Amino acid sequence: MLASFDSHLFWSALTSGPYWRGALTALELTAASLATAIVIGFFAALGALSERRGIRGLTWTYNWLFRATPTLLQLFFIWYALPQLWSGFASSWFTPFMAAWIALSLNEGAYMSEIIRAGLMSVDPGQELAGRALGMSRRRILRRVIVPQAVRIAIPPTGNEFITLLKLTSLASVISLHEILTASQELSAVKFQYTEPLLAALVYYLAIVSLLMVLQSRLERRYTFTSAGRGRRRRRVAPAAVPAISHDAR
Amino acid sequence: MSVLRAFDVTKWYDDLEVLRGVTFDVEPGQVKVIIGPSGSGKSTLLRCLALLEEPDRGEVTLEGRRPGPGEVGMVFQRFNLFQNMTALENVMCGLVEVKRLPKAEAREQATAFLDRVGLANRASQYPDELSGGQQQRVAIARALVMKPKAMLFDEATSALDVELVREVLDVMESLARDGMTMVVVTHEMRFAHHAASSVLMMDEGRIVEEAPPDEFFSAPKEERTQRFLALVE
Repeated sequence: MLASFDSHLFWSALTSGPYWRGALTALELTAASLATAIVIGFFAALGALSERRGIRGLTWTYNWLFRATPTLLQLFFIWYALPQLWSGFASSWFTPFMAAWIALSLNEGAYMSEIIRAGLMSVDPGQELAGRALGMSRRRILRRVIVPQAVRIAIPPTGNEFITLLKLTSLASVISLHEILTASQELSAVKFQYTEPLLAALVYYLAIVSLLMVLQSRLERRYTFTSAGRGRRRRRVAPAAVPAISHDAR
Repeated sequence: MSVLRAFDVTKWYDDLEVLRGVTFDVEPGQVKVIIGPSGSGKSTLLRCLALLEEPDRGEVTLEGRRPGPGEVGMVFQRFNLFQNMTALENVMCGLVEVKRLPKAEAREQATAFLDRVGLANRASQYPDELSGGQQQRVAIARALVMKPKAMLFDEATSALDVELVREVLDVMESLARDGMTMVVVTHEMRFAHHAASSVLMMDEGRIVEEAPPDEFFSAPKEERTQRFLALVE
């Protein structure tokens, strides 16, 4: 069966410009969307934990809207419907990358808000109490005490989200964003071969995720709060419960 | 002349009146020990004194005004050291984040206070790596470094293993000898006996009785105090 495998085609695909550029686009889109989603998610998490009912309601609606509808539909909506609704989007700056960035950020922000909320809630309330007893403002307590401890809890699920998001960028091929999958499809269309182009795409995804895993373990070490154990010992602290989120059918 | 004063402090939690108009004064250098059954309002009273809770009625004053940040130090039963900071960073935190001291200066002062509680050699360790007694001593240093006018101890030794209680009580006693104004909620009757200026009995949100330790323990006037002492001693 493997007799038909064309290793030359595989290697030329792997090193070709469209693949490289596609991979770079996918990586950029993932990183930009995750970064934006973390910012959105952070404020949405604060909103969900707010004492004001109106703010809680608002964040609830946001989470509900973006988690209950398919990501592909959101992507289509932003790419096709938004320019019709608002002429500001019917202009040259609104590229497929921009549309995908907005859609994925909003989508991912809803998931991140749950992860960050779980992280914030996992911090012992005594930490805030001690900060207040010292006379620290709420904002400083959040920044210096609560967020660093919440980060430790949020890193592993956020790594999951990165991977999910990376794979979701392939959805953007339907709004003509040139990412990894587009490169393989275009190659297949020319060569009438599927195995090699798809395998080359697969290698790129594996490479990016491997890179992320290295990055993640470094980050986890940085947020390990033991002196001798930094970098060596595994943490004794049990991971906090994070709401189970299915990634299957976004 | 009182330094710390609670006047008619009343606190409700929903339908429950936890503090029923508590008034008491602490004079400079006095050590007031509060005892009483759980649910009597001792901890809530301390939290009101530390401004962690706002009284529903009445007021808390320090030298006749509302206490400023760090002026009333609080030590908690469960230490509550910042888990993401080393011992030294914990003690520095108030100086840097509240008093806005430059880091170098904060480090110098914090080191001196860690030394005072005998933990200068643990400066770079995280709370997870310290024993309960050590954590509590760091917590005391964290409050002391703010130069408080009064210190509050909320069952500071209750979460400790028996053999670790002593090192924390030693620090508290040395503070008392140095003239620190203190309000101490505790079950350590021996500490109350020899470190207290006066002992208060609380029950159902009220101060039932207050007397110097000798009198309080040998000849309690109130029936409620007699019953409580019979149980704990």
